[in-house]
Amino acid sequence: MKLRTPQLAALVIVVGLVAGLATVTLAVTNPAGTDAVPAVVTPQMSFAGLAAATGEPELVGMAQAQPSRGEIVQVAGPFDDRFSLEDLAFDGASVTGAVRVTSDVSEVIDLQVLAGFYDEQGNLLGTDRFVHHLGSTDPSHAHETAPDERMIFRIEVPAVLAGQAVGVALGVPVLVNE
Amino acid sequence: MRRPFSALAATTLVVALAATATLTGLVGTSLSASADDDKGRAKNVIYLLGDGMGRTHVTAARERFYGSDGKLAMETLEAQGHVSTYAVEKLSGQPGQADFRPNPVTDSASAATAWASGVKTYNAALGVDAKGVAVPTMMELAKKAGYRTGNVSTAEVTDATPAGQMSHALARGCQGPVYSDASCQDLALTGSALPTTDVRVTPIADQIARNGTADVILGGGLGRFDAADEAALTAQGYSVLGSIANQRTATKTDLAAATGQKVFGLFNRGNLTVEKSKRDNPSSAQAQEPSLPEMTSKAIELLSHKGEKGEKNEKGEKSDKGFYLQIEGALIDKRSHANDAAQTLDEIKAFDDAVTIAQDFAQRDGNTLVIVTADHECAGFNIIEKGTFTNAEASTPPANVDSGNTANNSAPTRPSNARDAARSTGIVNGSGAADAKNFGPATFRTPTDPAGVTDGSPEAGLWLSYLSSNHTGADVPVYASGPGSDQLEGTTDNTALFTIVGHALRVIR
Repeated sequence: MKLRTPQLAALVIVVGLVAGLATVTLAVTNPAGTDAVPAVVTPQMSFAGLAAATGEPELVGMAQAQPSRGEIVQVAGPFDDRFSLEDLAFDGASVTGAVRVTSDVSEVIDLQVLAGFYDEQGNLLGTDRFVHHLGSTDPSHAHETAPDERMIFRIEVPAVLAGQAVGVALGVPVLVNE
Repeated sequence: MRRPFSALAATTLVVALAATATLTGLVGTSLSASADDDKGRAKNVIYLLGDGMGRTHVTAARERFYGSDGKLAMETLEAQGHVSTYAVEKLSGQPGQADFRPNPVTDSASAATAWASGVKTYNAALGVDAKGVAVPTMMELAKKAGYRTGNVSTAEVTDATPAGQMSHALARGCQGPVYSDASCQDLALTGSALPTTDVRVTPIADQIARNGTADVILGGGLGRFDAADEAALTAQGYSVLGSIANQRTATKTDLAAATGQKVFGLFNRGNLTVEKSKRDNPSSAQAQEPSLPEMTSKAIELLSHKGEKGEKNEKGEKSDKGFYLQIEGALIDKRSHANDAAQTLDEIKAFDDAVTIAQDFAQRDGNTLVIVTADHECAGFNIIEKGTFTNAEASTPPANVDSGNTANNSAPTRPSNARDAARSTGIVNGSGAADAKNFGPATFRTPTDPAGVTDGSPEAGLWLSYLSSNHTGADVPVYASGPGSDQLEGTTDNTALFTIVGHALRVIR
C-alpha cells in the first residue's frame, strides 16, 4: 500500500521525526530513565533452606553437666564472654543469682538464663528458665531502678521435680543489650 | 474527488500523533522538570551515622580536638541542618492519620527504620511499620536496582542501625544466633505468634546471612552467627574473613587483603573495641580490629572497584553503576549510655575521621552524595561552664516558684521539689551518691589550654556533664555535600532521609 497524499506522508514523517527527537531528548535529559524503578518491592518474607525454629533455645552442655549435691555449675553459651554470674544460691526449691553484663553499660533488651536441675546421680531431671524482655508487662521482668548491667534472677524448680533436684547447671542462651 | 488514504498510513498517522502527543507530554514534563528530576541525583550515596551523636557531642569533640575556632570534618560540609527523630507508639498510624500516636524519644531501631524505610515505627521495630507490616529498605531497593551496597558498623552488625537496612524484625532483640519467643515474637502487635518461618520473627543474623542485601558487611557480632550462616554466605559468593564456624574473628590484616564484590568480615564476637582501649593496649587481640576509618576506606575501595573489563553485577549490568554505603559509629552511643565522656569523644573523632575518608572520595568522584547525621541524642550530653557543678537528682534543684517575684513564678508540675517517686528513679549510682566525684563533670584539656593542663583537672577548659543515661528527644545535626545536599538545609524529619536518598539513587519515584 502506498500513501497517495504527499502532504499527509510528509506530516507522518515530520511527526515521526519529532517523536524520534523527543525520544532522544528524553534519554538525554533523563539519563536514568532506563533505570527500572521498582513499582512494588516486597521484602523477602522467608528463607528457603533455613530450618524453622522450634521451641525455646537449649544449651548442649546441659546434657553433659553433672553437678554434685549443692553444686551450681555453668554450661557454655554463645555469650559467655559478655557477662559474669554472681551471688548464686540454690536451696532445693529455686536457684537465684545475678547476671552482670560486662560488655555494655546500657539497658538489657533480652536475657534468658537457662537452669538445668539434676538428681543425686547427676541425671538431668528437667529445665526452666528466667526470661527478661525489655518492655514486658510482667513485673518480674521490669526494671525497678535505672538501667543497670546487673540483672537479678530467680528460677524455681518445676513443681513436678520438687524434692528431687540437688544440683544445678546454669547457662545464658540469649543476651542482647541496647 | 476523494483521494485514497491507506489503512496503514492512517494507522501510522494515528500512532505517530499519539506517540508525539505522549512523548511531547513526557518530554514536556522531562524538560520542564528535568532540572528538578536530575537535581539531587547521584551515582553514589555514602550515609554516615554517629549513633547517639547530638549537637553537643559534635561541639564537645570540636572543642576537644580542634579548639573553639576549629571544625570537625563533618562541620565543613556545605549543607547543614537538623533532623527530628521522634518515634511512634506500637500500632500507631503514620503522621497525619487519625490513629497517629507519637513517642518523643526514639531508640536506634525505630530511627533506623525511619531513614531506611521512610516510615515511623515503634521503638524496637526494624523494617516494619508500627502495625508490624514489613516495608522495603533503601538498601534492598538499591540492591534490586543494581547498585552495589555496603553496611559498616562498630557495633554488632545485627544491632539496630545496620540491621535496619538488612532485616525485618518485630523486635530488635531477635538477633540470634537462636530464636526465642520472648525476643522475637510480639503478641501485643500480632495477637498470636507468627510462624517461625516468617521473616519478622527470624533471627536477624539468619536474615543477614541469607538475603544478600549488602555486598560488603563489616563490623562486630560474630557471636550472633553460626556455621549454617557461614555456609549460606559462602553459597552466595561472599568472601568470609576469619571463620564463623570456628568463631575466629577477622583481623585488620584480613581486611586489608580482602578482594571481590562480596565481603563479610566480623572483627569481634560482640561490639568492636573502643579506640581508647586499643590505643592503651596495643598488644591485645582487640588492637587487631580495624578502626572505623579503616573499614570505611576498605568498603569504599571494594564498592567503587570498577572490576575487570566486561565484569557485570548480579543483574547483568556493568559493575560501575554506583553504590550505596552506610557507615555507623556505634560506640558514641554506647559510651554515652555509660556517661563515659573520654571514650565518647574518642569515638566521635574516629567517626569524623571516617567522614574525612568519605568526603575525600566524594571530591575525587564528583558525583557522590555524602550525608552525616545521627539517629538520636544520647544522655543529654552538655558543655557546662568551667567551675560549675550539676546533677539534678543529687543536689537541690532550683526552685521554680518565687512568691516574691511573679516574673520568676512558674507553674510547677510538682507540688514541691521533692523527688517524685512515680517519675524519678532517684540517684542512679546509689551507694556512690555520697561521693562528690561521682557527680563531678568530666573535664578535658583543649588545644588552647596552657601547657601542663591535664585531662580531669579543674584547670581543663572543657567541662562536660550528662543529664541521663539514655536517649533524649533532641533534634540531631545533619551535614551533607554533593548532589541534592541542599535538601538537608534547615530542619527535616528522619523519614525524609529515605526520600532524599531514594531520589538520589533513582530507586523511588
